Amino acid sequence: MTTTIPPYRSRLHPARAGFRHLLRAEWTKFWTVRVRLLVLAVAAVVTVVISQLGASGSHSEGPVQVVTGPDGTVVNDAFHLTHRPLTGDGTVTVRVTGLRSADGGALESWAKAGLMIKANLEPGSPYAAVLTTPDHGIRMQWNFTGDTPGSAADAPHWLRLTRSGDRVTGYDSTDGTHWRKIRDVRLSGLPHTTQVGIFVATPAHQVLHRSFGGTSETFGGGKVTGTFDHLALRGTPASAAWRSTDVGGPMPNGPRRADAEQGRTTTDASGEHTLTGRGDIAPDESGGDTVQMSFQGVFVGVLFMVALGALFMTGEYKRGLIRTTFTATPGRIRVLAAKTLVIGSVTFAVSLPATAVAFTLAQSTLRANGYEPPQFPDYSLLDTPALRAIVGSAALLSLVAVLALAVGVLLRTSAGTIAAVLVLVILPQILAFALPLPAAHWLLRVTPAAAFAIQQGVTYYPQAENNCLPESGCYPMQPVHGLLVLAAYALVALLLAAWRLRRRDA
Amino acid sequence: MRWLHAEWTKLRTVPSTWWLLGATVVLTVVAGAAAASSLTTEVCPSLEACHEDTVKLSLTGVWLGQSTCLVLGALSMGSEYGTGTMRTTLTAMPVRGRVLLAKAVALALPTALAGAVAVVTSLWTASRILRVQGPLLRAAVGSVLLLTLVALLGLALATLLRDTAAGVTVGLGLLYVVPLLADMLHSPTWQHRLQRWAPMPAALSVQATRDLARLPIAPWPGLGVLAAYATGLLAVAGVLFRLRDT
Repeated sequence: MTTTIPPYRSRLHPARAGFRHLLRAEWTKFWTVRVRLLVLAVAAVVTVVISQLGASGSHSEGPVQVVTGPDGTVVNDAFHLTHRPLTGDGTVTVRVTGLRSADGGALESWAKAGLMIKANLEPGSPYAAVLTTPDHGIRMQWNFTGDTPGSAADAPHWLRLTRSGDRVTGYDSTDGTHWRKIRDVRLSGLPHTTQVGIFVATPAHQVLHRSFGGTSETFGGGKVTGTFDHLALRGTPASAAWRSTDVGGPMPNGPRRADAEQGRTTTDASGEHTLTGRGDIAPDESGGDTVQMSFQGVFVGVLFMVALGALFMTGEYKRGLIRTTFTATPGRIRVLAAKTLVIGSVTFAVSLPATAVAFTLAQSTLRANGYEPPQFPDYSLLDTPALRAIVGSAALLSLVAVLALAVGVLLRTSAGTIAAVLVLVILPQILAFALPLPAAHWLLRVTPAAAFAIQQGVTYYPQAENNCLPESGCYPMQPVHGLLVLAAYALVALLLAAWRLRRRDA
Repeated sequence: MRWLHAEWTKLRTVPSTWWLLGATVVLTVVAGAAAASSLTTEVCPSLEACHEDTVKLSLTGVWLGQSTCLVLGALSMGSEYGTGTMRTTLTAMPVRGRVLLAKAVALALPTALAGAVAVVTSLWTASRILRVQGPLLRAAVGSVLLLTLVALLGLALATLLRDTAAGVTVGLGLLYVVPLLADMLHSPTWQHRLQRWAPMPAALSVQATRDLARLPIAPWPGLGVLAAYATGLLAVAGVLFRLRDT
């Protein structure tokens, strides 16, 4: 008599092989190695402590006089204006015939000559302007942060501003008869009587000496002359004569004596106005970035996260556990997905409270050290730049761990993986301080170090002249785009890892 | 001599040693050449107006090369702990201090050689791209010593922590993150302290050839700081190596 032995079948329910159980298995592998939990805790504490140290070492030089725009942004608002009061609605038109440097220096690319409607002559009051620039064509700018390009033309060019209620519309034209609308903007709080007129302004010349270990940036001078004709105002002027004012100036605190010099306006018989003046109308980005200064500890946190991510994978290769893992779950991609999810969410869950606490503590220290409004904005946890930086820094730490995990699949050795990922994430940042500026900007765009841009709190406007020095905390990329660069690196590494896992023996 | 021979054989017969030494040379030269070619006329319109230290710029690759040296140093000790070879080694050579010394010598010589090749090639490549001017000797010799000392630092850390991964993480933190903090901190006193007493910014001052008065620490004393870290940690590692079990 023969008996047939039925083939072995596991009596466990098939659902046991589901992804949820795989996740649970990987989570168990993670937390049962107690050193990992210890490293996570140390990472969180060190992130907070170093951030706090960084903040407590920083001192602001006490209150200085700052001008703030209508939305509270710290701004520069100094220029030479030839103006008339306008009651109610009206239109002002002019032809800009030329703009040249008046102090022998080169003409700055954002030097300005144009038309303006301004609430009053106080620095920082609401305004709208259409203007010509040497290198950026015709622009319409309003309230310091707003900027829309018009045609790419250079002077001579016709400009027009129309006020209707609290709407101001800017136009430009090549011939004075065919007008092209640039855009219209709503200026809230524009009084019934405004100042309208022609103005000139220029950013100061910047001299940048930058070499290994030392940067010196000197500002100074900058004086331009603009020529205008066919100046016409339609509407109800409250006074018959054009008057000239140095808004926000002459600058008594300028670095050179010439900065205290007054602007000049001359008008000849043919109706040509020649304005000479200095000062700039733009957001002021020279103050420190208090949001970014609150996250120094994240650099140290990266170290721990990279080690955790790498060892979560390479540890299995080292001990041969990977063979057991793949025997239990032959779907290798699923294992990789489960590992990624576990390490990504664990590191994010630990990093988020760490960065939130680091930020809160560092902010209160910075405030105590003189970083106060109005010069430095007061951020609460839920304000956009603060929240973005907190969540973004936590995402950065978690993505770095995922990147290390994926590189771990590719290299299979702990030392190589940790070194490779740290070199990719940290080194570009250091080299950016040392290399010439174009190379530094390139590095901070194409390497995962771009992700640190997420910690920026200051908005860098393209219409404000700024060298964007990495040592001052400026990154060449927008915050979210920078983080996306790191995410792209992690994604590509994961795809390569998946491909490699399927192709290669364990 | 037999001790040294044994350690040299162990180092020589692992393929990763040659990969890492090769990577040191390639990475140093490539990064140096890239840095040298980043000095465009836009940055430096003329020689007189240029404030760039061309020698130091040509040796930028050392920043990258030191990571592979560190890994090499950490692996030479850490892999023995990882695989358990350590027990065999100590059975064969029971005087532990001498094992560590033999390892250090066997590690230092090839690293110095690879470092020399890397530094000379970097300077030669850079001189094809731009005019490298300044006293070369101190910067070149200093950079070779720097790479060697970093490898010894890796050896010391791996001996202390008895694990390659931990040694590499701590080492790279010391080499990269501390100088980064030194640059980012807004406090001038802390900045100055870190630049003087942290191993990496201090040691790299040996590459400077101009504006020496503005350096936080003079070139040779700067390298001395790194040497103090490496030998100090190696000495502590030696003591612990004798006291601890494997």
